[in-house]
Amino acid sequence: MGKLLLVWRLAAKDLRHNALEAVLLLLAVAAAATTLTLGLALHGVTNAPYARTRAATHGPDVVASVFPGGPNAPGPAKVGELRPLEHAKGVVAASGPFPVTWVVLRGRSSAGAEVEGRSTAPVAVDQPKLTAGSWVRPGGVVLEAGFASALDLHVGDQLRLAGVPLRVVGTAVTAAVTSYGKLCYIGCDDRNVSYGQPGFVWTTTADAARVAHVAKEPIAYFLNLKLADPAQAAGFANRFDASTANAPSAPYLVSWQDIANEDAKVIGNVQLVLFTGSWLLVLLALASVAVLVGGRMAEQSRRVGLVKAVGGTPTFVAMVLVLEHMLVGVGAAAVGLLLGWLVAPTLDGPGAGMLGSAGAPALGPAGIGLVLALAVAVAVAATFVPTLRAARTTTVRLLDDAARTPRRRPMVLKVSAHLPASLLVGVRLAVRRPRRLLLAVFSVAVTASGIMAVLVVHATNAARGLAPNDPQDLRLDQVTALLSVMLVVLAAVNALFIAWATILDTRHAAALVRALGATPGQVTVGISVAQLVPALAGALLGIPGGLGIFDVAKKGGSAVIPAAGWIALMVLGTVLAVAVLAAIPARVGTRRSVAEVLQAEAA
Amino acid sequence: MQQEVVLAMLAKEPSSGSGLRARLNDALGPLGEAMNDGQIYVNLSRLEKAGLIARQGIGMPGAGAGAGAGAGPGAGRKVYQLTAAGQERVAEWLTEVSWPKPDLAEFHLKLVAAAQAGLADPIGIVDAQRRELLRRLRDVERAAMAEPGGSQAGLLLEGIALRLQADLRWLEACERAWTDRRYR
Amino acid sequence: MNENDSADPLVRCRGLRKEYGSGEGMVRAVDEVDLEVARGEALAIMGPSGCGKSTLLHLLGGLDRPTAGELWLGGRRIDRLCERGLAQLRRHDVGFVFQAFHLMDELTAEENVELPALLAGRSPRDARQRARELLGEVGLADRADHLPSALSGGQRQRVAVARALANEPQLVLADEPTGNLDSAATLEVLRLFEDLHTAGLTLVVVTHDERIAATADRLISMRDGALVDETRLVGGTRGNLGDLAGLGG
Repeated sequence: MGKLLLVWRLAAKDLRHNALEAVLLLLAVAAAATTLTLGLALHGVTNAPYARTRAATHGPDVVASVFPGGPNAPGPAKVGELRPLEHAKGVVAASGPFPVTWVVLRGRSSAGAEVEGRSTAPVAVDQPKLTAGSWVRPGGVVLEAGFASALDLHVGDQLRLAGVPLRVVGTAVTAAVTSYGKLCYIGCDDRNVSYGQPGFVWTTTADAARVAHVAKEPIAYFLNLKLADPAQAAGFANRFDASTANAPSAPYLVSWQDIANEDAKVIGNVQLVLFTGSWLLVLLALASVAVLVGGRMAEQSRRVGLVKAVGGTPTFVAMVLVLEHMLVGVGAAAVGLLLGWLVAPTLDGPGAGMLGSAGAPALGPAGIGLVLALAVAVAVAATFVPTLRAARTTTVRLLDDAARTPRRRPMVLKVSAHLPASLLVGVRLAVRRPRRLLLAVFSVAVTASGIMAVLVVHATNAARGLAPNDPQDLRLDQVTALLSVMLVVLAAVNALFIAWATILDTRHAAALVRALGATPGQVTVGISVAQLVPALAGALLGIPGGLGIFDVAKKGGSAVIPAAGWIALMVLGTVLAVAVLAAIPARVGTRRSVAEVLQAEAA
Repeated sequence: MQQEVVLAMLAKEPSSGSGLRARLNDALGPLGEAMNDGQIYVNLSRLEKAGLIARQGIGMPGAGAGAGAGAGPGAGRKVYQLTAAGQERVAEWLTEVSWPKPDLAEFHLKLVAAAQAGLADPIGIVDAQRRELLRRLRDVERAAMAEPGGSQAGLLLEGIALRLQADLRWLEACERAWTDRRYR
Repeated sequence: MNENDSADPLVRCRGLRKEYGSGEGMVRAVDEVDLEVARGEALAIMGPSGCGKSTLLHLLGGLDRPTAGELWLGGRRIDRLCERGLAQLRRHDVGFVFQAFHLMDELTAEENVELPALLAGRSPRDARQRARELLGEVGLADRADHLPSALSGGQRQRVAVARALANEPQLVLADEPTGNLDSAATLEVLRLFEDLHTAGLTLVVVTHDERIAATADRLISMRDGALVDETRLVGGTRGNLGDLAGLGG
């Protein structure tokens, strides 16, 4: 028992002694933990609001629709085909068929509109729930809530449907169609409307007919069905579709599960981005940790040597080191969970098209456990090697562990002799720790891949032609922006760490070189420029990396290559940022007088 | 031990043989035990023969009534004091910088005597001696560098140089110690 | 050849001061030092640990900047130079030899020696040529391609001296050059310094070692940051060498 207490005390003391490093480590891991938390929290977040909307509007279990004939079989929609469905086995209630047409809506801006004609009296299945104003009446239309907020239209505003002047009398939500932006999942016949994805509008039956007549648009019919067993809705739809597959103008059936899933995809995209992003951040966090820990390795080894010299066993030593890092990991998990809990509500609002917000993100014990496990794993993983080494090396070697003599690289020496003084210094100093150079390339490559992936997402979305102010788009923008910021911040922190660790390592050599006649400016420039090569390599690797990430995440979805200008900007920006970040600690490092550093090292 | 040491000890005040003995013990500490009583008395009689010291109360000015020791025949201790010639010799001895064979005690007592009698600043004596030793060291080094590497003479010269170096270190220590007032 | 034949001293300082810390905890490492070093002179600075002699040397060599006072080198005022100017100084006018050698472990002897020349912008071939010459002068021509770990202490210090000479400085500053060396290696370095002195180089050596100090033209003692004593060592002694060895009466 006493031994455990001692382990605890030593670990706590060590952490306090190196508080700054512990905090930096914690922040690095917390970034990854936060993203993971956000990703998990958004899982299934639309299910609750969709269910609520469905219950409040008596949403249908199946939506059946018939469309006017196409060029092969012209003619109006055969509404008669829908009648048998009302009496099919398992159906307990129905509403409709309602006439539906597609026209242009002109309000403050223009958009495509899917118009459904309704009676002023409420119906048993799918009676949209008003979020403002009142239900349809002659001359008065009700807009779907998401559509209304996208177009910035409110109760009392005037608009024109196919040129027919009408007035907005209310906004409402429904579970019978997919959210604004993905309306045509149910089925659209908007061949004459070229405004991208339309939004949903309810009018009176007479108004709908008038609008369709003025626009010379064909009319489709939608029928809402309620089943005895809602869970069977998908089966019902499939069976019916299969049995009439060959009939040319047969009804088209969609179950409520399909609608719900399609809605969830909106959030699903966001969640996908967050998950992918969190893995990238985990990788970056690992790199940070490796640099931080690697920089301390010599010092830690000596301290471990002292512990061993007073009788501690290798196991004891390992326990202390692991406990320290576990504590940091737990702290990071806590920070990540807290931040995720705070940030999630801003991201997961299911959009105005559904009732209520998701509430506090539902992160069950399993989710919390996962975040905790990940944070601890990352913190401990990067310390595995030094811990093992420290536990195994003999005490004398540990105590005597002066900085390892760097390996002699004759090629580098020969080539660098021909370079100007600052580059000579920079290159020779940089190659003393090749593993750190690799870490630098890795860190930049991960970040560049992430940013590249974001660029690809944007380019792909832009090419799809979504509705104006599509909430999907906006939310995705939000999330990718957040992710990009986190990636860049963490990468910048990494670049600083790496430069700082390099400076510390080469402090003595840099002072010596200055004593021999190099100016501080030359040393600073040399060190910064020497970091540029790995940065460039990393940035270039990020291009295929980003495309690969997109491929894997979208499971082979088609990617649109972003404009060359953006890619070039990403590469140049990365390289410049690294140069500047490396210059800061280099400059600071050259402030100390040469004499001080050399005296300290000689001691 | 050279007789000049005894002579210099009398510069502070006249003293008997046993008085001198006590003061020497003080100055030499445990090393004083190695000193032979006889040495003091032998040196005293030599100095008297050489006319550098004289017994008090026998034809000496200033030896009046009440002068410490008994003056008559059969009296106990004899008290000696410096003559004019003796004073001259002491002053000369203090400025000498010849470095005899390892005899740290003599130099040490020189400093003590000078300080107690107020005749000279011990630090000045140390500095002068240091300078001399440095010059000798310089000669030795020059000679050593002129020797081809590995010569036997070179080895001997190295020995001399190292000893001089050790002596110089001690002189530096003397200088530091005598600067500190509590030592006096 | 050791006299101040040229009118101007090579190094001159007035009221040189270097302080660390402030207020209660202020330490005055160098306290109002006035000093002149003539061209071609060999000066030794001695003193107890912590007396500031190393600090003084660093100031003279531009490795540190004084808190107050004036410092001239070769007629140019250098106490107010910026770091870049000091670097130029170190490149062309001053060569430094450290107690801990401070050789780069992964470079061979000749690569170490050529480094200042490369930094000063000489072509790699010239620099390598000069390095080989210098190593020859210090007697290490056959060890030019050895790493420092394969050299003895005395040899390493000789490489360090060769490096200090790479850019033909006017002034060579040495901080405890024999501090880490045994007696035989000390003699090697002594010989080297004598040669430099004979060649007309100005030398300032900080040392604990009386053997080095004894070969200088002038010896200065420092205590608590101030110069307290000066000795000229030219001229003979009053004894003869035989006496010192125990020969003769």
